[in-house]
Amino acid sequence: MPDVAVKNLRKDFGGLTVLHEVSFTIKDGEFFTLLGPSGCGKSTTLSCLAGLEQPTSGSIAVGDTVLVDDSSNKFVPPEERNLGMVFQSYALWPHMTLAENLAMPLNIRKVSKAEQKTLIHDALDKVGLAHLAHRYPHQLSGGQQQRVALARALVYSPKVLLLDEPLSNLDAKLREQARVWLKRLQSELGITTVYVTHDQEEALAMSDRIAVMSNGHMLQVAPPHEIYERPATAEVAAFIGRSNFIDGTVVSALGGAATVRLEESGETINVAVSDDAATGDLVTVAFRPEKVFLTNRGAEVPADAIVLNADIMTTSYVGSRYEYDLKYGSKTLLVDSTTGGLTGAVRLVVPAEAVRLYPRADVVSKDVAELMAVTH
Amino acid sequence: MTTIPETRPAAQATVPRPEYPAPKYRRILGADRSQLLFWATIIILALLVLAPVVPTLYQSVLDRPLYEEGGLFTTENFTRLFTEANFGSVALNTILFAVMTTVMTLLIAVPMAIVVIRTNIPGRKFFGAAMQWPFFISSLILGFGWITMYGPAGFASVEVRRVLGFLPWDLYTLPGMALTEAVALAPIAYLFCANALRNSDASLEGAAQTVGAGPFRILWSVIIPMLRPPIVYSSVLVFSMSIETLSIPLLYGQPVDITVFATFLYKNGLQSVDPDYGILGAASVIILLVTVLLVAVQAKLLKDARRFVSVRGKATRPRLLDLGWIKWLAVAFITIYVVIGALIPILGLVMRSFTKIFTPLQNPLLSLTMGNYQRIFEFPAYVGSIRNSLIVAGVGAVLVSVLAVVAVVVSKRSTFRYRKVIEYLALAPQAMPGLIIGIGLFWAFAFLPFNMGSLLQGTIWAIIIGFGLRALPSAFGSISPAVMQIGEELDNAARVNGADWLKMFLRILVKLLTPAFVAAMVLTFVVMMKEYSPAIFLGSADTAVIGTTMLELWVQGNTGSVAALATIQIVITAVFVGIAGLLTKGKKDA
Repeated sequence: MPDVAVKNLRKDFGGLTVLHEVSFTIKDGEFFTLLGPSGCGKSTTLSCLAGLEQPTSGSIAVGDTVLVDDSSNKFVPPEERNLGMVFQSYALWPHMTLAENLAMPLNIRKVSKAEQKTLIHDALDKVGLAHLAHRYPHQLSGGQQQRVALARALVYSPKVLLLDEPLSNLDAKLREQARVWLKRLQSELGITTVYVTHDQEEALAMSDRIAVMSNGHMLQVAPPHEIYERPATAEVAAFIGRSNFIDGTVVSALGGAATVRLEESGETINVAVSDDAATGDLVTVAFRPEKVFLTNRGAEVPADAIVLNADIMTTSYVGSRYEYDLKYGSKTLLVDSTTGGLTGAVRLVVPAEAVRLYPRADVVSKDVAELMAVTH
Repeated sequence: MTTIPETRPAAQATVPRPEYPAPKYRRILGADRSQLLFWATIIILALLVLAPVVPTLYQSVLDRPLYEEGGLFTTENFTRLFTEANFGSVALNTILFAVMTTVMTLLIAVPMAIVVIRTNIPGRKFFGAAMQWPFFISSLILGFGWITMYGPAGFASVEVRRVLGFLPWDLYTLPGMALTEAVALAPIAYLFCANALRNSDASLEGAAQTVGAGPFRILWSVIIPMLRPPIVYSSVLVFSMSIETLSIPLLYGQPVDITVFATFLYKNGLQSVDPDYGILGAASVIILLVTVLLVAVQAKLLKDARRFVSVRGKATRPRLLDLGWIKWLAVAFITIYVVIGALIPILGLVMRSFTKIFTPLQNPLLSLTMGNYQRIFEFPAYVGSIRNSLIVAGVGAVLVSVLAVVAVVVSKRSTFRYRKVIEYLALAPQAMPGLIIGIGLFWAFAFLPFNMGSLLQGTIWAIIIGFGLRALPSAFGSISPAVMQIGEELDNAARVNGADWLKMFLRILVKLLTPAFVAAMVLTFVVMMKEYSPAIFLGSADTAVIGTTMLELWVQGNTGSVAALATIQIVITAVFVGIAGLLTKGKKDA
């Protein structure tokens, strides 16, 4: 199965650019996820791949076949692309039985009746629904419908499988199971898959690589582990998992280290930086709540760790851990801990490898910021 | 049934799977077959809509009938229209009539909608259905019925005069005309208000209740303000409909010489020995301008009104308000409308059709006769008009509904560059009064080169085109919500699976739209059954329909046979709607 190559894909809607020159390549057999909040352009990207939207400019190719190329004015309509797609609403045709739903793409491809029968049976069998072939979609549960939709997308062995939030309509427990099952099916078939979701857990669990999107830009394309551990931008850090952000200013930078003064408290911290930071740069310091720990004042801490003095405001017990809200200046910081019952003034210890430094960015939404602001 | 099956061992993964390449669709000059359908749709619609308009515009600035040689451009027609033809007073009458009709329609419809939908009066369901009855009866028949009962020599009038010594009303006046028209148009305004009330979010009222508002407070502060958009919209609609209506102004206004737009066209185009086409064209253009303007306002209002829809799809059951003793007033009010407005006139008309003389001075049961029906079935021309009506409504319903389905789907579900134009074209006949469609098509046929028009002129096809054009907007309007309800992902799934647009349309949408298509056919049948005004100019002796025949018999003073024909038309409509209702009901249960 071939690679999918997308170059400089751009889409304008009535003067508004929803996709800014996006480029990426999906490797043969890869499970590639487009992840981002609603309106980030992930669905538009998928629609452009499917041919349901015509991009304003850019090119898309699957293997040697060019599907879209603005320089040669080529646009292959969706029906001639031979892709498989599962829609968020499953889009099963309500007036046809499951077998008829699956037969439609085969009829169009003029597959003989006998062969159709085997193909339909195999495809339904693969999703465990062969015994329901003559039911109508509305007689099935949501989970079953979703699997039929997948069977329909696979029955004609398409070149690429496109999945548009296929699990978002399932209830939470089922969704987790379906995720594992779908991932296994995909790797068995070895079919190149493009998956669109706004659910970061889903993306992390299933993907070979994730493309994080925001406002029509691709922020980072990397394997799940790298996305979580080394977010390329503050936005990625904010969107994937939870992060604390503190604004600061670089007061001195030397080699691989920088000293940053935090706005909230005036405290200065030393941070390792990979690329050049200059004195006076406005920055945002980020760290994840589960990477840090709390100690009493006076306890010993690693030499290169950052230590912040804060006060515990509230404790929430969420089962597997305690979540503490700390007051740090006028900001609220979130910290996970396995120890309960801490109160009052504490020291927040951030190990050096847990800290990341980004150019100053406004990543917390206004609603959240208002709730997090400490007022007296 | 929500367990996840084990996936099979990965045997297939290693075996190279067979390829089923995507289909290739043929293209003609770079356009695929779906494009050809799009273009065919827009061309057919444009031809149909422009056919009556262009010749009318042309005639209005021409100094002689447009089929005569050597015509010169002139503005004289318009000057003469206002100086000689007394068009000013006609315009004044029309506006007065339209304003009174609109006010009366709203006075009937708005309280009725509130009471029926939102209060706990007894018999709500029945009254809700009864409000729709007048829709199925043409305003021509309603007019006949009113004259039969309440006209100067009507059954009720004679009785009242006998008791009181005088008649406290006069039907043959502008207010009389407006009242009858209002009864005929009230169902439309009712429908808009009732829908708005049904769709509104009941929790808004709940919220008012929690802060201590009583039923009248809720009515005044929550429900009535919510009704503003449908009230504004339906008043514009009713206003424009009463500007173009012919039936009642013709029946009531002719004898006492009150002329409005439609009767002006009727008189000048049909009744004069030597019709002045220039004046006819100029008057048509002015009326068209007014109706186009009104329809444009409607479209704008409707767009804004959609913003007021508070909740979609979520089933919140509206709580019914308790009005106390006032509810009996409301019930009386509705009963009066249904009984006096529609039921008595129609029953009177039916009675009239079975009697020789219909007057309270003599027991009608003593003069029972089948003679009125006999006369109709004796003359082939009259039987022919019934047959023509059936053919026109039947064939027209199918053709118009097919055209409407294609037009709706292309305009809502394609990427055709001019899909918006298709929608405008399909809705444009809303702004075209029936008489003007008749006159315009008549001229268009006369104007066609190589005498092609004679192929259509005077045939039943001319009638089908004229009536069909009038029915197209309602067919479009009834199918369009059904299309919007079908998720677009169903189309997209078919496209990705390998169906081009046309195949997607034929295999997916056509099947899913069948119920809406049937409903549109029923609606179109009823509309075309009631229609007659384009046939006044387009019809010939062989192609008369029930409506035109009734008018002819009325002019001859043959009211018994008019009543008989009217009864026949009501029966046809009732039977058809009844059968259609049963058929579609059976389908839903299956």
